[in-house]
Amino acid sequence: MNIDDLTRQTGEWMAGSGPEREIVVSSRVRLARNLAEYPFSTKATRTQRAELHRKCRERLLGLGIGGGEGGKDRSVFYVDMDKTDEIDRQLLVERHLISRQHAAGDGARGVAISPDEVVSVMVNEEDHLRLQVMRSGLQLKAAWQEADRLDDLLQETMEYAFNNRWGYLTACPTNLGTGLRVSVMLHLPALKLTGEIEKVFRAAKDMHLAVRGLYGEGTEAIGDFYQISNQTTLGRSEQEILNEFNDVIIPRIIQTEMAARQVLENEQPLALDDKIGRAIGALTNARLLTSEETLFYLSHLRLGVVLGRISGLDLQTINQLFLQTQPAHLQKALGKTLDGEARKAARADFVRAKLKKTT
Amino acid sequence: MHLCEKCTKPATVHLTEISNGKRSEIHLCDSCAQEAGYVQQSHTPINELLNQFLKAHAQVSEPQAPRCSDCGMTWQEFKDTSLLGCPKDYEVFESQLKGVIEQAQQGATHHTGKSPKVATAAHLAGGSGAVAESPAGVAAGEGAEPDDPVKLRQAELARLRHELALAVQKESYEQAAKLRDQIKALERQAG
Repeated sequence: MNIDDLTRQTGEWMAGSGPEREIVVSSRVRLARNLAEYPFSTKATRTQRAELHRKCRERLLGLGIGGGEGGKDRSVFYVDMDKTDEIDRQLLVERHLISRQHAAGDGARGVAISPDEVVSVMVNEEDHLRLQVMRSGLQLKAAWQEADRLDDLLQETMEYAFNNRWGYLTACPTNLGTGLRVSVMLHLPALKLTGEIEKVFRAAKDMHLAVRGLYGEGTEAIGDFYQISNQTTLGRSEQEILNEFNDVIIPRIIQTEMAARQVLENEQPLALDDKIGRAIGALTNARLLTSEETLFYLSHLRLGVVLGRISGLDLQTINQLFLQTQPAHLQKALGKTLDGEARKAARADFVRAKLKKTT
Repeated sequence: MHLCEKCTKPATVHLTEISNGKRSEIHLCDSCAQEAGYVQQSHTPINELLNQFLKAHAQVSEPQAPRCSDCGMTWQEFKDTSLLGCPKDYEVFESQLKGVIEQAQQGATHHTGKSPKVATAAHLAGGSGAVAESPAGVAAGEGAEPDDPVKLRQAELARLRHELALAVQKESYEQAAKLRDQIKALERQAG
């Protein structure tokens, strides 16, 4: 398996099949780990980085990771960032398999990916290891179980930097302790339309949660997609962090969005159908589409599908459109690099063709 | 009172010279001392003098900033990048980091939760933030049995710390003190 194979498939988290899929796009669990015998990435020499990279790659390639349900392939494939061109690195960012920081970095570094894209482990990012498990819908507990299992397997042959007081030691003290970052990607169009989204932001801030855009740190929320994650990693156990998210925070946000959707349907059905209709109109007729515009319209299209106000379209198709209209995916599909203007035209062509087939 | 040895004005500069084991004293007035090159005429503005004083004072009162002997990290470098250089930095900069960590972690001061199953001396050092200097070489799976005393002690420590945090939250300080003593005793056992 390689990067080209990725573009021909739909990763598990994009299947649009998990619990609470009407609102929760995906659940992600991330663990930050460092090896005790090496300096953190910032202070490691080139030789140390290369040695650590070699060691981790070997270990990761020997692991069976990923969902693996029904005897699915769990063998890992490994991408050496140093030997990967910019478009392919960008493609991995768009699929949420690596961070933007990892794509832009330099030196020996890479990522191990499970064929179903559920698991990815970055080597030599800010920390030596960043284990990520991502699943569709609200499946934090399943994601945690896989991350926990993988973490146990890795530490059998690698000594982690850990001490009893501070827990797992990380390059940045904001990840200290459990090293656990839980994030849930939510689609909240109704709260946006009713103007109540600000309330959610304020409540999240009060609960020391971070609210970010589609692509994590430093990205803006586009198309009503928000990533909510914990900021505190020390002083609470993994279970406490997970339970709070899974049983309290996320259900509460889901409830508010559901209520807002109901208000829209009951009180402003015309305005709602207008939004959805305009989205269909633009996506099936536009000849030039920016990536931001596409996300904006796809968000309303998704709302229409979930509320049953559009037929003939499913969530998986919409999720695929989200991904395949991103710059690197477009260029990869067309097999050539395109500048901004050419991408707009290619994007509009792609969306029109895809929607014509399904509607 | 001594008088200037050259002009017999009241002496303001008193020098003691020792050469070849012989001690001699010289007493001069201001102007004769300047002429003789013992004292430089003071043209230094007052604020410059003050600055020099403050600089000298700062050097005295602030001890040499620590630097990690393993990775060369300094506190200033951490402040610039927010990233530490190696696991040992948590020990080297412990006193400075405490506040930073508490601020970033909602006042948390101890880890609660998972710990590596393969226990090493490093993990047991705890408290001070010590980290093993020996490379990883612990055999897979060893020491991971459920009745492993090391693991049990770690689990017990984690449980006690959690209870301590709860006790402090509830302001039951008597209970907190008891828990603290239990934790200390266990940590001593762990060596």
